[in-house]
Amino acid sequence: MKKIFFAIVLAVCLTGLAFAQTGVKRKKQKPYEYGMVKIDNFSVKAGIAPVIFDHWRHRARYTCRLCHVDIGFGMKTGATQIRALNNMRGYYCGTCHNGKTIYDNKVLFAACSTETSKANDPRCAKCHYTDKLQKKEDEFYDFAKKYPKGRFGNGIDWEKAEETGLIKPIDFIEGLSMKRMNITAQKDFSLGSKFQGMPDIIFSHKKHTVWNGCEVCHPEIFIGIKKGTNKYTMVEIFDGKYCGACHISVAFPMADCQRCHTKSVQQ
Amino acid sequence: MSHKISSTIVILVGILGLFACLPEAFAQEDRFKLPPLPPAEEYGNILISRNSIRNGVKPVFFSHWQHRMKYTCRVCHSELEFNMKVNTTEITELGNRKKRYCGACHNGKIAFRPNGNCEKCHTGDKSSGNSKFSVFDESPFPRTSFGNNIDWVESMKRGLISPATYLKTKSEDMPFDKTLQLTTDWNFVTPSVFSHKVHTQWLDCSNCHPDIFNIKKKSTENFSMAYILRGAFCGACHLKVAFPIHDCQRCHLEKKEKP
Repeated sequence: MKKIFFAIVLAVCLTGLAFAQTGVKRKKQKPYEYGMVKIDNFSVKAGIAPVIFDHWRHRARYTCRLCHVDIGFGMKTGATQIRALNNMRGYYCGTCHNGKTIYDNKVLFAACSTETSKANDPRCAKCHYTDKLQKKEDEFYDFAKKYPKGRFGNGIDWEKAEETGLIKPIDFIEGLSMKRMNITAQKDFSLGSKFQGMPDIIFSHKKHTVWNGCEVCHPEIFIGIKKGTNKYTMVEIFDGKYCGACHISVAFPMADCQRCHTKSVQQ
Repeated sequence: MSHKISSTIVILVGILGLFACLPEAFAQEDRFKLPPLPPAEEYGNILISRNSIRNGVKPVFFSHWQHRMKYTCRVCHSELEFNMKVNTTEITELGNRKKRYCGACHNGKIAFRPNGNCEKCHTGDKSSGNSKFSVFDESPFPRTSFGNNIDWVESMKRGLISPATYLKTKSEDMPFDKTLQLTTDWNFVTPSVFSHKVHTQWLDCSNCHPDIFNIKKKSTENFSMAYILRGAFCGACHLKVAFPIHDCQRCHLEKKEKP
């Protein structure tokens, strides 16, 4: 009897939840939470807090391509299966976080260094985050002050920050990256929309290659055989395909409709 | 043993049944139960108390009509990151002092500053702004019969109000003005007419898309008055702040006489 009662209560609660999802405004992600990734492949099992990675901290200093191509981080949380040992040997996070690399006159701390094995070492807590998130929020707002404001995501206009030279993301690591040939980016082109009256999308290769080179998108996300071969739909993109690979979770979100659906080419 | 299995099956079927019939039952029940409306000068007024009472201060009184005369919805609900449900935005005193949330304007430059003005907001009374409502008697504001009794759209059109569309970060306007006609279940109810243009004067695309109205068409299969009455879809705004759904004919336009 008790079981049945419990089941009914559970069912009612679940139905309530199902309702809550239809046609209702969701809570907005805070600027510092946008692009925040919680990585827990092995951490909790090993008795240590999961890693909390902030994209904003890193993308102000490095291009997307550097980590996602040269260093080899996957694009889905947890897909890379990073182990402490990898970092110690100088792979993944350990590529830069090795206690030797110098950035901005500071030596970058060594990730998962062999010298420590205690779970409550403050050095571990830098990534295996145990502090209150409030601390990250404060750090973020201190950081964001310096950059042009954007409307969504991190609330920072990264594109403009890069264009105006406020940030100069590094795209080359000695001994890891390979010298690449400069390819002149294709001219901006438009992608027609299906819906009458909806402005066309202006896609700029130039804006994307600054961060991504060629390899982040081609050939996996966009096969790119011939223009017009693929028909993209917003439904697919919202499901994380094509543009949605980045423009849901890290690059400016798709809520910023007008940033792509522009009629004339932005200068 | 078999008794146990059969009872589990019964429970499972029961749960499935509940899932299937509950929405319908709810839908039938509150189809035309319109919520009671507050007086015109209190429509859209809210009391915010996330931490106030716990911290020993009165809840914050906020009046939508006072603010929408000067700012469009998108300024606060997009640029300043206010959520659409009361008490879900983590507004803090510190945040305000750091020029976030209310502090973006209430900084002593655009609007009154927080210092020494506690009682201006922390009134704990929804009717705090009523005396100022007479502002609408001073100029010939177009009237309606519901909500604030003010036709905000028409007021904007006539230039009686010209609310700002952004504070710092300007958005590119999208020239999308498609008017949609939504057919109804009954013959005697005229289709609901939706104008994008009227809405984008106040709102950003992202205020409604994709959360409230998803681009995936299937999400609107539940698009009915019953859901709207529960605060979904149009009900997100048109129950508490924008003209209330009591004003049927503003969407279900009167049939034009056949010539």
